[in-house]
Formats: sequence, C-alpha cells, structure tokens
Amino acid sequence: MDFEALWLTLRLAVGTTAILLVVALPLAWWIASGRGATRALVQAVVALPLVLPPTVLGFYLLVALGPLSAPGRLLIRVVGHPLAFSFAGLLVGSVIYSLPFAVQPLVAGFSAVDRGYIEAAEGLGASAGRAFWSVVLPLARGSLLTSAVLTFTHTVGEFGVVLMLGGNIPGSTQTLSISLYDKVQEFNYAAANRTALVLVGFSIVALLTIYLLPGVGKADGRRVDVVQ
Amino acid sequence: MSSNSSSAHLLTVQIEHWLGGMPLNAKFSLNRPWTVLFGPSGSGKTTILRSIAGFVRPDSGRIVSGTQILFDSTAKVFVRPYRRPVRSAGQTTRLFPHMTVRWNLVYGNGWTSKPAEAMGLAEELMASFGLTGIADRMPDRLSGGEQRRALVARAVVAAITFDSPEKPLLLMDEPFSGLDIVARDELLVELRTWLSRWKIPVLSVTHDVGEAFQLGAEVIKIADGRIVQQGPVSEVLTEERARLLEQLSAAAENRA
Repeated sequence: MDFEALWLTLRLAVGTTAILLVVALPLAWWIASGRGATRALVQAVVALPLVLPPTVLGFYLLVALGPLSAPGRLLIRVVGHPLAFSFAGLLVGSVIYSLPFAVQPLVAGFSAVDRGYIEAAEGLGASAGRAFWSVVLPLARGSLLTSAVLTFTHTVGEFGVVLMLGGNIPGSTQTLSISLYDKVQEFNYAAANRTALVLVGFSIVALLTIYLLPGVGKADGRRVDVVQ
Repeated sequence: MSSNSSSAHLLTVQIEHWLGGMPLNAKFSLNRPWTVLFGPSGSGKTTILRSIAGFVRPDSGRIVSGTQILFDSTAKVFVRPYRRPVRSAGQTTRLFPHMTVRWNLVYGNGWTSKPAEAMGLAEELMASFGLTGIADRMPDRLSGGEQRRALVARAVVAAITFDSPEKPLLLMDEPFSGLDIVARDELLVELRTWLSRWKIPVLSVTHDVGEAFQLGAEVIKIADGRIVQQGPVSEVLTEERARLLEQLSAAAENRA
C-alpha cells in the first residue's frame, strides 16, 4: 500500500475542501439570489470544469502557472518557484476543477430556502448578512455537508488535471489515482488492486454520508437533488 | 402636506407603483395608534405594507417616518429594511423551522445590547399569549392557532426591544388570519395591552369587515390601487357593515 500517496491525497482533498467552502459560500449565495446575464455567465464559468476534459484544464493551468505566461512569471517571482509540478500548484488546480461540485449543491440548497424566512428575519431587524448566517445557512445545512463531501471525494478521484499539472513526483504530486496508474503500467496488479479498493471505499463512504445522515441533502424539510 | 417637522406625522406615504396590470397610487398619513388598511384582495394593501417595510421599492414617491426619510425616488434615498424604524410580520411570514418557539420569540432581539431583558420579556409574552407550555416545541409541532399567536408575539418582542427610545411602527399583514372570532378576540385583548403599555403604533392589513370593527381603529379603505377614504371605522365601512349583516341574517334564515 502506497502510504505516501494516500497521505498526499488526503492533504490535497482536505485543503481543497477547506478553500472551496470559503470560496463557494458567498459565490453560491450570490448565484442563488441574483438574476440576469452576469449571473448566467458566472454560472457557466463555474460549471465549465464539469464539461471540459480535465487534460484541457490541466494544460491551460500548466501554461498559466508556468514561466511561459506573464501571470505565471509573476507568480514565480512572488512564490519563489514555479507552481507547476508542486503541491501548491496541485491545490490551485483542484480548487478550480472541483469548483462546480462545491458550488452547485449550495446553490440548490440556498434556492430551496423560502424567501419568506429571509423577509421574516429582516422584518425583525436582521441585516442581510445576519439573516444569511442565522436563517439561510442553518436551513441549507444539508447542502453544506453535501458540498463538502462531494468536493472531498471528487478531489480524491481526480486524475487528468493532476497528471498534466503535477506530473508524477512521489511525495509531492503523486496522488493515489496516479500511483494506481503507475502500478498498472508496471503490471503490478495486486498493488493496483489495493489502491483501487481504497478509492472505491472513499466513494462508498461519501455517498452513504450523503444519503444516510438525517438532514443531509435536505433543506427546509424537502429533499433537494444535489447529485444531478 | 407640509414637511414641517414640529407637526410631523407618524408616517407619511406617497407612492406610485406599477402592479402588473394595475397602477398603485397611495397617499396617506398615520397619526393614530392603530390604523387598518382595508380592501379586497389584489387591491394593493400588501404592496403598500411591503413598501413601508422596505421589501418593495416603489417606482416613485416618498415614505417619511417622523422626520426620517425612508424612501425618496427623486433624492434616490432607499433605507434598507433593518435600518428602518419599522418591525414587520408579513403575510407569508412563518416561524423559523430550526428554532423552538422561545428562540423564535427572541430572534428580533439578536442585535440589541440587552439579551437577558429580552429573554424575560419573551417569557412574559409567552405567558400572556398562552405559549408557555409549548415554549420548547419546534414550529412544525404547533397547531395553526398556536403558530399565529407565536408570530404575533415574535413581532411584538422585536418592536419592544427595538434599540431606540422612539418605538418602531409595527406592520402586520393579516395577523389574525385563520383564527376564529373568539381566538382573535382573546389574542387582541393581550396584544392591545402590550402595545399600549409600550406605546407601539400599528398599521395592519385586513379584508375582513368584522376584524376592522373589532380593532375599532382608524381605517384606510383601498380599492383597485387607490385610497378611497380614511377615517373612523364606523364612518368608512358603513356599507360593508350593512352588507355583512345582511349576509349573516340571510344565512341564519336559511339555517332556520
């Protein structure tokens, strides 16, 4: 069992989930409460990683973070080393790649919260922010957990972006799914099987969390389809 | 209407708003402790109330509370709902489903400096509104009548704990809907006591003639988006009252 790859994968997944929750909360709330062309555009950009081949995303990130582009050169000067082929670079790639998995359940959850509750809160003297934290978020708490679980598992399972952007450096950018690919290349099917089983385990636990825990995947008493 | 602040009205509303097929044109002032907006459904009552609360931005006009401008289309003033000297319980308002009755009641106090005082106040209100026995229940375990009483109590707590010596205007949209006359009367007696003790003025909405008379208040009659008449209930709603009595006696005769 490749514990180095497992540890790296866990760090990547936890880091990505933490960053994405901070980014996705305001973004999802804005999408859920907004309207118009700007909202449609933002929604499309957020959903892009869902339809784009991961290798395409990985390729452009590689260019953007590397010395071939102006922002990449600026980043290299700020950070001190190229982000491509490093753990930090992987983190950036994962955050972008998993963005729709964090945002979409939250948008569904927030949209399902009755506007009447928000007006009730504001009518009692709550500011919009206060109404969000004390009423909207608690009522959409199921979506919050769904969002976190999906982001975590999706990051654990990503392959294309990691390979393009991080290469295959043990201890630095070699995640479980890449290590699995390596083992198959070496015809070490027994080791590959063990790694694959761990990945299957992650997915099953994640789905059971979403479907079994009371209140998860629900908002305002109704089930919300978050895994569309 | 003069803008002289020494004789300022409690609230002056002067708004025009396009209501999908019907223009709403409302001009009135409030001076009485309890005023009722009366009219059939679809006449624009709720839109007026929501404009005062700050949930609707009228197409044009002004809303002034005392000396504070809450909305002015020409001066481009629009005060956000929570900054208005207004507390409201809207028509679609419900209890927060993730809080017990007690926590619902003190919700409006979350932003003042005296949480302990509000807790005590909530207990007192629950006692007089008959909610003490169900204080720790979640809203989905309440009957329709209990929910109504809790909603009214919640709005009253928010109005009383308003952080200013000047008490806010309490807006209530159909506060007694779903209650029978006896239950309404009981709730009203308690409500009146609290409102007069704390000198909280009310603007409520109803389409029920009986309720308007029971409130015995100043009435603003509205039809098709226009103010028809304003005055004491016995003067403004004489026709409606006669029609109601006719209907009642006809119904009684049929039954006999």
